[in-house]
This record gives sequence, structure tokens and C-alpha cells, in this order.
Amino acid sequence: MVTFILRKLAAGVVVLAAISFLTYFLLYFSSANIARNILGEFASQEQVAAKEIELGLDQALLPRFFAWAGHALTGDLGTSWFTSEPVARALMTRLPVTLTVVIVSIIFIAIIATALGMAAAVKRGWIDKAVQSAAVIGDAIPSFVMAIILVTVFAIQLKLFPATSSISPDSGSAAWIASLALPVLAIVINGVTSAAQQIRSAVIKQLEKDYVRTLRSRGISEREILFKHVLRSAAPAGLTVLSLQFIGMLGGVVIIEQIFALPGMGALAVQSTTMGDIPLVMGVVLYTVVIVIIVNLLVDLINGWLNPKVRVS
Amino acid sequence: MKFGPKSTVMAILTAAALALTACGGGGTSTNGGAATTTLTIGLLQDLVSFEPADAHIGHTMPYYQAVYDTLILRAPDGELKPMIAESWEYNAENTVLTLKLRTDVTFNDGAKLDATAVKANLDHFKKAKGRDAYQVASLESVAVVDPATVAVTLSEPDPAFTYYLSLAAGLMGSPAALGTTGIKTVPAGSGPYELDTTNTVKGSQYVFTKRANYWNKDLQKFDKVTMKFLQDVTARTNAIVSGQVDATLLDPKTSKQAVAAGLTLTTSQVDWQGLLLMDRDGKVTPELANPKVRQAMNYAFDRKTILEQQYLGEGTPTNQVFGPESGAYVDELDGSYPYDPAKAKALLAEAGYPNGFELKIPTMTGFEAITATVQQQLGDIGIKVQLETIPAANYVPDLAAAKYSAAVFNLYQAEPWVAINQMISTSALYNPFKSTTPELATMIDAVQNGGEQSAEKAKDVNKYVTDNAWFVPFFRLNQMYLTNKKITVEPQLQQAIPSIYNYAPAK
Repeated sequence: MVTFILRKLAAGVVVLAAISFLTYFLLYFSSANIARNILGEFASQEQVAAKEIELGLDQALLPRFFAWAGHALTGDLGTSWFTSEPVARALMTRLPVTLTVVIVSIIFIAIIATALGMAAAVKRGWIDKAVQSAAVIGDAIPSFVMAIILVTVFAIQLKLFPATSSISPDSGSAAWIASLALPVLAIVINGVTSAAQQIRSAVIKQLEKDYVRTLRSRGISEREILFKHVLRSAAPAGLTVLSLQFIGMLGGVVIIEQIFALPGMGALAVQSTTMGDIPLVMGVVLYTVVIVIIVNLLVDLINGWLNPKVRVS
Repeated sequence: MKFGPKSTVMAILTAAALALTACGGGGTSTNGGAATTTLTIGLLQDLVSFEPADAHIGHTMPYYQAVYDTLILRAPDGELKPMIAESWEYNAENTVLTLKLRTDVTFNDGAKLDATAVKANLDHFKKAKGRDAYQVASLESVAVVDPATVAVTLSEPDPAFTYYLSLAAGLMGSPAALGTTGIKTVPAGSGPYELDTTNTVKGSQYVFTKRANYWNKDLQKFDKVTMKFLQDVTARTNAIVSGQVDATLLDPKTSKQAVAAGLTLTTSQVDWQGLLLMDRDGKVTPELANPKVRQAMNYAFDRKTILEQQYLGEGTPTNQVFGPESGAYVDELDGSYPYDPAKAKALLAEAGYPNGFELKIPTMTGFEAITATVQQQLGDIGIKVQLETIPAANYVPDLAAAKYSAAVFNLYQAEPWVAINQMISTSALYNPFKSTTPELATMIDAVQNGGEQSAEKAKDVNKYVTDNAWFVPFFRLNQMYLTNKKITVEPQLQQAIPSIYNYAPAK
């Protein structure tokens, strides 16, 4: 078990290094106008040149990358070129917002999708049809369209929720929940149907297996078969879907954050990338990759716990 | 266990109820009758830092105006009025500006705002080379005459200098804090409000509270001012329609929605949009050196229809680049180039290009529609426009580096001397090919040394660049500023968003 985790972590470090370099490599080719954009349109060419030297933009790719990586290894992610804010601090104020939205969404999706998927698989009939058609609709309506509809109905018409984020340190948990309710709802509606669909197929597949018939023939109750055996065997498929959704959400939440003006990672990523704020972009990428690695590791561990066969292979 | 339809529905309802509980916190409070004491503004750009030297004209000025005073106050109509400087006066050569200061102003850290502090600020602003450092380009030295008098020496006359002292260059920070890292997040100024650091969330909202014992109660109309950073126009629309913000800037389409929801619309004109014909000496595109070609391009645009279709008519077609309130505006110039493709073709033929020519112009996100129109309208008179899509961040730098002979852009209609230095003089960023003529240089000199007559003299420059078709101005665009019934606002000349002094509680 320990070697398994260590092996996974080692692979994660390699992925992290590779993605960092790749990102830096791509940013290198779009860094021509950064100094000009920092100083503004009225700065002289000499000022721009001096700024480029100050930021190290005059250096070649590899020395620049290793200088950054060297600092990053000691935990120093540098400061934003545009706002002079330390990158680590900028990320630490943004990360909780994004993670809250994503984690709360994924928990709701997991619970609702499992309930719907199992109901559809076991009951079939009308509920199955409903889940299947809802999956198509859920996939077809992008979460940002859903977000706009939700804002119009629940924030503007009914005035139940704030239309844009009203999160501030003193506002307390009620304001947090109120601010996050609509974004989470938009993501859940968009994600839950496809997850339910996947869980449905996984459960159906298990129900058709021989062991289910054997269990039934031994007189074990349907309830026990379903929750103790079928669900456990179908879980890996569901977990994979959820983990993929989780990772997809880290990127997809960008638009949701914009519509609700949530001060999360998405807005930061977009702004820093368009401006060419390399230290900040690298920070965002680094944190995101770390989160993805952790999520993948957790999924592997849970799968192993659910199904000993996976552990061996 | 079997899932019946009932239990499934219950499960869904339970989940939905879970999501909905404790959601009573939202909504807006309405105050019945009594005038409001708070103001919430939705801004398009986030603050970079509270360091005065980082201040930048435009969408981020309100953040600074809340916490810093400027030496000079610019009234909504553009008139310069006393603020920290009670009066000011130039010498006969317009090179030494003497400012008399108020003596009763202190910074929020207790330091006194006197002549020494003013000198420290101007010197720092020059040295720090921030985004608006161009405003002090002509500043040579600052001398403390006595505690309430400073004398500013300029290397050459700068008719816009006093105007700059009402903007970034005039922001006064506490000398002890200038240039420190602390002032980047916690401002140290003498302004009407102080930053409430506990309720401020960088990248989201900035909260300011009324400062006790502020010297000018007339500029302090609210107890609390909140500035929310709302980059997305949909977010701004939702925020104002739902009452989360009291004022914000929208676009023609979203403002229709907001007006339908009962909000008040105030329009003002700041930017002109059009083509900059930069390669006037024909270094890259030889055809552009001929004034007849440039005039032909001016006749090629059906400005009124384009305005109707792309901006719902929110603007005014124009043929000149100086604004009506700038002092350099010449009424009759707006009849210079009516839509006349036949005449345009004739002019091209006269210039020796009956079959037109090829022209490469850049485009970026947000400019797709207008550049496509340019391509089509110029195509109609035989000029084949090739569009090149570039990242938004590269647009201005690429123009400045003279990579394109012509480009579509929005430029703000500034004070004449600012406008000249922005797009007409040889040092102007938007004159990258540095085109000029001896005749024009003389006219520009006259503006610079014109003192009080400066704006009047700029009319000659306006006539020259219009007659010689340096640009193809399309229209002055309307800025759509929306407010709710709790507050009133006066638009500020040449600013898309009003200065914070212009807001007041509705009576």
C-alpha cells in the first residue's frame, strides 16, 4: 500500500515537472509585450527595455525556467508582475472560493447522481426514461446558460439570492451559502445528469452478472445485493466519472466565476494569462496540477478499498 | 429495497431543499424614504495597487479618489477647481507653476499635507515611472517656497499639466508611505474615505468608510462606499438590476435591459472609434502617402448605418478626432466626408489607384464586428483589406511598434494637448511612423506655447489632420452609465465613469 502511494506520488512529481516546463515553454513565446503592458502605453522604449532586464525577460528559456523552478522548489513562487502581490498569497485567497464551489458541487452531484442512477437501473420504466432524456438535456445546456437562467429567476425576479458574489470575511456563513448556492446549482444541474447516466449503465451491467443471480438464488435480499455487492462493484465506474468531472470543473468554473463575479482561481487564471503575468500563471498551473494529482490519488485509493482486485493489479 | 417513484421524488426534493436551506441571506434591503448613506459602484477593472505612482487614468481612478486627494479638482464639466491647491499660477513663459496650498489637511497617518509633502509626492511620481508617468514628463523640479507654497518648474510649457494634477500625478500620499510595499495594499492618503481592510477582498470588493475630520464635507456624501470589481458585463447587469450595486457602466444592449428594469441611464461621450491611418509617409503601404487615398477612405464609410447596426445607434457620427467639449472642436468639420463611395472611387483613380490596393489591418477579440465592416466598406471602393487576428495584449504594443499601416481603435477624446500627444505629435504613441510636416509642427508649437489660448490654437491642428485625412473617425460612442433611484450622479467630462465626487444620495 505504501509503495503504491509512493509510486503514485513519484509519478505525480514527474507530471508536475513536465507540465510546469511545458507551460513555461508556451508562455515564453508570448512574452514579447509583457514589459510594455506593465508599464503602459506611454513608457519609452528605454523604460521597457530596463523592465525586461529587471524581470529577466531578456534571458533565454532554460535559464529563466530553472531560475523560476529553483525558487519554486524552496516554496517561493515569486510576486505578480502586475500587482506586486505575492503569488502564494494571491492563490491562497482565491483557492478556497474555487475549491468550495467545486467540492460542494461534486458532493451534490455524487449523492444525487447515485440516487438517480440506481433508481433508473433498478426500476427502469418511466424514471429510466426521465434520467436518460435529462442526461441529453443536461449535456446540451451549458452551465453558463443555466447560470444566467438561475440568476434571472432566483436573483432578479424572486430576489432570493445575490446576483453576484457578496463574500467578504465578516459576512459569515449565511452570506457564503447564499453567494455559492446559484453557482453550485448551475454546475450540479449541468453535471448530475451525465453522472447519473454513467452510474445507471454501471449498475445495469452489474445486475446482469452471474454473481447477482447466484446471490439471489441463495435468498439474499434485494436490498443487500444492491447496496453490499452491486453498488460496490459499480462504484469504480462512478468514481472515475466524478473525478473526471471534478477535474473538468476546475477549468469549467472559470465562466461561472465570471458570471457570478466570484473571486476564485478561474478569474485569476484568465486575467494573468491574458496579461502575461508569468509568475501568477505558473502558480495557478502548479496548484491546479497538485489538486489533480491529489484527486487522482484519492480515487485510486478509494477504488482499491472498494475493490481488492484493483489493489493487486 | 425498491425505489418507487415517490421515494425518488422525495430524494430529489430533499437534495434540492438541502441546497436551498439557509439561503435567506440574499436579496437587497430597501430603505424606506430616508436618503441612503451608502454607495456601491460596480467597476470594470480591478485595482492594481494603492500606490499613487501606480494609479492610471480611467476605470481604476475611483479607488484612488476615495482615499487620496488630488492637488486640483476637476469639476464634472472639466473646469479645474481648488482642492489641496487653493490657487495656482504660471509665470509669463508658462514654465513655472506656483501652487498655494491649504494648510488644514492631514494624512490618515497623522502627517501634515504641506509643501514638503507635495514635493515628495511629485518627485516620487516622476521617479517611480508608473503607468501614468508621462503626465510628469515635462516636470523638471519642485521647490518648496514656504510650507504652503510650491513652485514647479517645467522643462517646456505643458498646457495639460494642471489637468494632470487633477488625475494620477496630483494624488497625494503620505510621504512616509510612498514607495513602500505597505501602501500597495493599505493606502495612506488624505482623501474623504479610508479603506476598511477587514471587509475588503482583493479582486472582489473594496470597502471605504467616511474619514473623521475630513477637511471638505462637500466631497464626503456617504458614510460607506463599496467598489465591487465586476469584469463581466452580464455580472454588472445582474448586479445593478438586482440592486447589489447602485451604479455601473453597461453597453448599449445590456443598458436597454437595465432601463426596462427601471434604472436611470446617463449617456456621455468619451471615445471616438475609427481607423488610424498611421503610415502617412507610405513607408510600408506607399498608397497611404497620398492624401487623396486617405480622403477616399473617409468617404467610404456609411457611419450612420454602422452605428445603428453595431451600437444600436448609441453615438454620434463624426469626421474629427477632437471632442465637442475639448475647445478644439470645429463644427463644420463634421460635414467633411459624407458617405459617397462614387466619390471615393474617383479620388482613388485620381491618385493613380483605380484598382485599389491591399491593406493589412489587425483585429482582436471585441473588434471582430467593426473590422469586418471596415473590410467590407473599403472593399466596396476597391481596397482589399486583409485582417490579421492578434492577441488583445499585443494590440497596442504592435501598433506602437509600427507593425501596421492602419488599425481600428477607440481613443478617448482628451484635452487638446493630451490628444495631440496621444496621436498627432511625433512623440505620440499612436503616431508610430512619426509622420509630421513643417506646417503641422508650427501649429503644434502654437498649442504648446498658447497658454490660455492653447485650445483655440488646437483648432488649426484639428482642421489640418481632418483635411489631410490623418484618420478615418467613425463616431463618438455613448458610454452607458446606469444608476438606481437611491443615488444621483453627474457624468464627468471625458471619463467613462464619473469621479466619486459626482455621486450623491437621492433626495
